[in-house]
Amino acid sequence: MEKCVTRFSLKNISKIFFKKNEDAHVIEDISLDVYDNEFLVILGPGQCGKTTLLNIVADLLPKTKGEVIFNFEEDTDPGKLGFIFQRYALFPWKTVMQNVEMGLKLRGKNKKERRVKSQEYIDMVGLQGFEKSHPKQLSGGMKQRVGIARVFATDAHVILMDEPFGALDAQTRYQMQGELSNIWEHKKKTIVFVTNNIEEAIYLADRIILLSGAPSKVKAEYNIKLSRPRSLTNNDFLELRNTIAKNTDLVL
Amino acid sequence: MVILNNSELITVKKTELDRMKREAMKYTTISFVSIILFLVAWELLSRYGIIAENIFSRPSELFKTFIYKLSNKKPEGNTLVTHFFVSIRLALTGFAAAVIIGIPLGLFMGFFKAMRLYFMPIFEIIRPIPPIAWIPIIILLMGIGMAAKSFIIFVAAFVPCVINSYLGIQLTNPTLINVAKTFGASKWQIFTKVCIPASTQMVFAGVRVSLGSAWSALVAAELLASTSGLGYMIQMGRNFIRADIIIVGMLVIGASGALFASLLALAEKRIAPWRTK
Amino acid sequence: MKIMKKIIYILLPLLSVATIVLAWVLVAAPEESQMPGLAETGAKFIDVMTNKISGATLPIHILVSLRRVLMAVALAMVTGVVFGVLIGWSKLFKSLAYPIFEIIRPIPPIAWLPIIILSMGIGESPKIAIVFISAFMPIVINTFAGMRMIDPLLFDAAKTLGANKRQLFFNIAIPACTPAIVAGMKTSVSNGWMTVLAAEMIVARQGVGFLIVRGMQNGDPALIVVCMFAIGIVSALVSVGLTKIEGVLTKWKNA
Repeated sequence: MEKCVTRFSLKNISKIFFKKNEDAHVIEDISLDVYDNEFLVILGPGQCGKTTLLNIVADLLPKTKGEVIFNFEEDTDPGKLGFIFQRYALFPWKTVMQNVEMGLKLRGKNKKERRVKSQEYIDMVGLQGFEKSHPKQLSGGMKQRVGIARVFATDAHVILMDEPFGALDAQTRYQMQGELSNIWEHKKKTIVFVTNNIEEAIYLADRIILLSGAPSKVKAEYNIKLSRPRSLTNNDFLELRNTIAKNTDLVL
Repeated sequence: MVILNNSELITVKKTELDRMKREAMKYTTISFVSIILFLVAWELLSRYGIIAENIFSRPSELFKTFIYKLSNKKPEGNTLVTHFFVSIRLALTGFAAAVIIGIPLGLFMGFFKAMRLYFMPIFEIIRPIPPIAWIPIIILLMGIGMAAKSFIIFVAAFVPCVINSYLGIQLTNPTLINVAKTFGASKWQIFTKVCIPASTQMVFAGVRVSLGSAWSALVAAELLASTSGLGYMIQMGRNFIRADIIIVGMLVIGASGALFASLLALAEKRIAPWRTK
Repeated sequence: MKIMKKIIYILLPLLSVATIVLAWVLVAAPEESQMPGLAETGAKFIDVMTNKISGATLPIHILVSLRRVLMAVALAMVTGVVFGVLIGWSKLFKSLAYPIFEIIRPIPPIAWLPIIILSMGIGESPKIAIVFISAFMPIVINTFAGMRMIDPLLFDAAKTLGANKRQLFFNIAIPACTPAIVAGMKTSVSNGWMTVLAAEMIVARQGVGFLIVRGMQNGDPALIVVCMFAIGIVSALVSVGLTKIEGVLTKWKNA
């Protein structure tokens, strides 16, 4: 039996945004474990705080209460985590190659090393030939591929993805889901993927954690045992989809 | 189950809000102190002769001169208050004319192709010539009286009003126009009920630039050819080698400009409280 | 009917130019009018382009004016960008320096002329100083605005890639506010051009601003008009040139 190593844990995370008039209780109490090399999907309705949760893990936002405990060999720092943003967050003045190598550059790797590694990942996401293009010249799907390559090139142990395909049209979205699934199977990493789309969650996840509406708590946990590559029209898939859908909070 | 019970919540919130208040206070105090330190340093450096006191009059001198000039006509013939009102009157006349003529012109140019085709070339020829370059010819043709100076200010304030109003209409979101069309609006109705309100932000931006332009042109005109007004006062300050008069004049000019700008901003808030940003 | 419309549309711009010419002729026609006629102005233009007036031909005077602008703007860009970046990046620096800047800002650059002449005399330096003041402020304002408007997401992305504060400053903040700096440079140059004219009109022996005032003092209206056109043409060319440079420097910018 496989030994499940915990990569990091959230213990009683709670987040309140304090404002002059009304405080926003976004996260009430979330505790969960993330296992090594699993594809974990955090699924929740809109505005339930899942992006906030991810930002707290990445230390981009302070938490109001609770702890994030990492299990790395060295001390944790945001650099050990990769983050893929819904709005791509590519550096517009840099070319594709320069964007992908940014993480390595910030860590002081020399040019030769950076180029070789970055090229590997540019090829992996299928953007050969676009190394010298600027983000403004790329489509949404292509931009997100750069985002993926950029993060993978840093060899981060854990990759956080904040609704990475949310800004793409439906066709591109399906395509990217397939490609991401593929990439993950070849380059095993721990991935925490946030989405509000149930099909997307079931398609990609080893495990789904379902959040309630804000202030959010963990509502349910589902282990997905379907074999990959998964089919959106498979009976088991659809049954699972129904179960989860019934359990999801409706948000206006 | 709520993790943070009520009293915990109140404490956490209070600490957070306190922290934000303290931080804001910290920076405001630093600003305040830095201005005071600046003035004190200026005063001391001047007293000990490190800064030439005939060029950078000390703050205490400036204050004295300011009070003095409020009611005294010496040395150049008028009180500060008189100069101030002379300048304001000039500036406002030219500015008002520019706004009243320029904004409608710009709006019409933006909407009606015929008007654009006719007036645009005239503008494209006039626009590159800086308002200041108009001063000599206007003085030559109109003398150095009030009319000439008002006209100079008009010329300075006119172009930004027109151009920005024009752009405002041109940049109206086409979707809004289409919506009006589907409701059966006539051309005139689209112009008055969609395009003009939509251009409000740009029009105000143009008026803001106009104001600055007008005020600048006023000072230039008064420096070159005038017998009263704030610009004249600082020019005379130079003639009489009275740096304190010059600096007091400069500060009054600056303060007046700032005052008008904030009045304009207030007007904008009243007239167009919605902001599409 | 459609053809009528098309013809009108072609005629209108021509009518426009004709209006200007007509207005000019009308103002210049009366005997006692000071306004020079078209022919007189044309002749003056040729005269001034080829013969020396007050020591140099018109093109040389223009170059003198431009040189002053260029020097002052270069200086203003270096100091202004540093100042603006510091104000935008460091809250501490902003609270120290910004209040004084805000007090000085509303004073029109031209209003500085008397005090500058009083302290610096009438050589080259006062003109450069005053153009510097007028060029400095737009750069600071634009750079500051550029720093403030940087998408925070870019900083987040860089942090997750491992950037420390120094790296955030040099690798993210500075490149991201470059378009704003370039826009500030455009305003800077056009402000500088206007200010140099004003300065030359009041204290100079060379330069196109000086020429135009000479026309006024010597009762040579044709010279005034020629100078106005020259100034206008140079302004337009400078503006077009700068826009082109802006396009090249910021070709990565989103539409």
